[in-house]
Amino acid sequence: MKPSIEFSHVTKRYRVGLPPLSLRALIQQWRRRYQEQFHNAVNDVSFQLQPGESMGIIGPNGAGKTTILKLLSKVTFPTSGSIRVNGRYSSLIELGAGFHPDLTGRENIFLNGAILGMKKREIQARFDQIVEFAEIGKFLDTPVKRYSSGMYARLGFAVAAHVDPEVLIVDEVLAVGDMAFQRKCYEHMVKMIENGTTMVFVSHNLRAVQKVCARCLVMYRGNAAFEGPTPEATANYSNILRTAAAEYSKTNAGLIESGISQQIMTHEAVIEQVKLLREDGSEALSFQSGENVILQVKVRFNQQVSAPIFACVVRTPEMQVVYDFTTHWANLPTPDFEAGTVATIEYQLKLNLSPGTFYMGVNIAYQDLTRYYDRMDRALDFVVTSNRGSRGIADLQASFRVSSIEPALPEFSEETTA
Amino acid sequence: MTSLPLKTLLHSRDLLSAWTMRIIRARYQQSILGGLWAVLQPIAMVTIFTTVFSYFIRVDTGGTPYAVFAYTAIVPWMLFSTAMTDMVDAITGNMNLVSKIYFPREVLVIAALLARLLDFLIAYAVLIVLMLLYGMKVFPVAWAFLPLILLVEFAISLGVGLIGAALNVFYRDVRHMIGLILQIWFYATPIVYPVSLVPDWLRPYYYLNPMVGIIQSYRSVMIDGTVPPPAFAVSAAVSLLVLAAGYWLFKRLEAQFADII
Repeated sequence: MKPSIEFSHVTKRYRVGLPPLSLRALIQQWRRRYQEQFHNAVNDVSFQLQPGESMGIIGPNGAGKTTILKLLSKVTFPTSGSIRVNGRYSSLIELGAGFHPDLTGRENIFLNGAILGMKKREIQARFDQIVEFAEIGKFLDTPVKRYSSGMYARLGFAVAAHVDPEVLIVDEVLAVGDMAFQRKCYEHMVKMIENGTTMVFVSHNLRAVQKVCARCLVMYRGNAAFEGPTPEATANYSNILRTAAAEYSKTNAGLIESGISQQIMTHEAVIEQVKLLREDGSEALSFQSGENVILQVKVRFNQQVSAPIFACVVRTPEMQVVYDFTTHWANLPTPDFEAGTVATIEYQLKLNLSPGTFYMGVNIAYQDLTRYYDRMDRALDFVVTSNRGSRGIADLQASFRVSSIEPALPEFSEETTA
Repeated sequence: MTSLPLKTLLHSRDLLSAWTMRIIRARYQQSILGGLWAVLQPIAMVTIFTTVFSYFIRVDTGGTPYAVFAYTAIVPWMLFSTAMTDMVDAITGNMNLVSKIYFPREVLVIAALLARLLDFLIAYAVLIVLMLLYGMKVFPVAWAFLPLILLVEFAISLGVGLIGAALNVFYRDVRHMIGLILQIWFYATPIVYPVSLVPDWLRPYYYLNPMVGIIQSYRSVMIDGTVPPPAFAVSAAVSLLVLAAGYWLFKRLEAQFADII
């Protein structure tokens, strides 16, 4: 079968700075050479989607996500590389595109539908479905400028969702609606995928992406940083943000990291590498809830260190401590380490966590707990998935049964009235 | 991209009609006089020109009442000039759409032109009333040739409009320039004066202005009841050439619209 989307080695370059056509630029060019500057919004990105596949695109602002969507919907064209979209496509890049505030809901349905590429009779055939989905019933003949923003968004989504495309391109557009509407939209999107629609979905809402897409592309500064299963992609994305934040704080040292703990790190022992391993020894960043994992830490000892205290801490992204383990509290003896040695230490953990993203922290403290040798509160980010559907932080692995059903005893009050 | 212009247009005819209706509906929404504005404006202009050119400066119209003489030309001219102003803004005025969704961009320009057709038809109906008031009659030749003349006027309007709309995306100067160009063009066209006042040596160049043949044709079919003059053939040829050039330029620049904004 022909792939629905073929995106191969696509680069999109924009010019930055003064537009070259302005009088100022022309004069500058004339007096001394005007230096043209370029920026690659998308840099050599490739991916393929088969019919019925769905892929999320995640990444921080300015990573090139929206540019990819614009390239896919042929609003803009690549500087190099090629893009093929096979089949009828529709894009949900802006809800209610072309809506005129003075026109009624009914008129705008036809207008918006036509802009999205529908024929008049196709819109007529789906008109009732659109109105029902949008829940605008009695306001159908009211100018949309009198609509609430929620109604406006509902109508916009309703039209776009009923274009019945083979390929649907969705940008972060659902943030406007309330929870009930967002859920309805996501459910509709899932249903469309089940019916064979190919979908590309851009969102900052990782939970929504996980709900809709099995696969994700992580974009960072115009490059494809990772492509693969959504949980792995989410963990990768989180780690990219972590690295970026670390780099930022390194260049702004002293401004951001002002905690006392940072000031009393001696670095006589240094954490060199932190890894999470599955039971089979393979490195990973996303795990099933309840999975047994090994946290492996490489430490270099610059000085002679005697019986240090090793600790690992799991936190939520809100920095709430989920689990804090130290060899000191556990009464576990630790050896002395010679200067110039590198040790690998391992913690065995059972990840009884609910689905979500977590931060792994590692530290090494002095025997008397006065100082740290080294400490990393966010050494790496990992993602926990689960098919048990629980939410929260911990996974208490509840089971459920109805153990008995018996006739109720008559209540006391009933006896007195009888 | 490479498909024939007419095929693309046929394919997006529903969008074209929906977008044209949007412009028309929105234009007269929340205005008391509504479509009456389509008539009030040319009537005001005709009143001014009639006062100036039949009382202050006498212009020889060959026996035709000056009001009728002017009105036959002003209404087609206003179709041309108002549509031109609208078309130049058709892309830049809808940038949020152009930068987000793909559809054939020429639809926006053509719709801006078509949306002025209604104004033209209303105003032309008033011309017939005016002629009857002056005791003139409408010749059958008018009905036969008006659509053809209108078609040629559409061709030249769209040709220039496509060029203006595309260039305006890159240089907003176009928008300011178009008012000036239209002013010059107005006096380079026999609207307030007859062609007989144009010096002989200038005539060959004068007829290169496609609006000359078009305006003359409106007058000949409406007032004289004769078929359009030979100048109309020149107008048709120039108009089609400009339309082809305009379409070519527009399509060449179209891909960059969303990037420039």
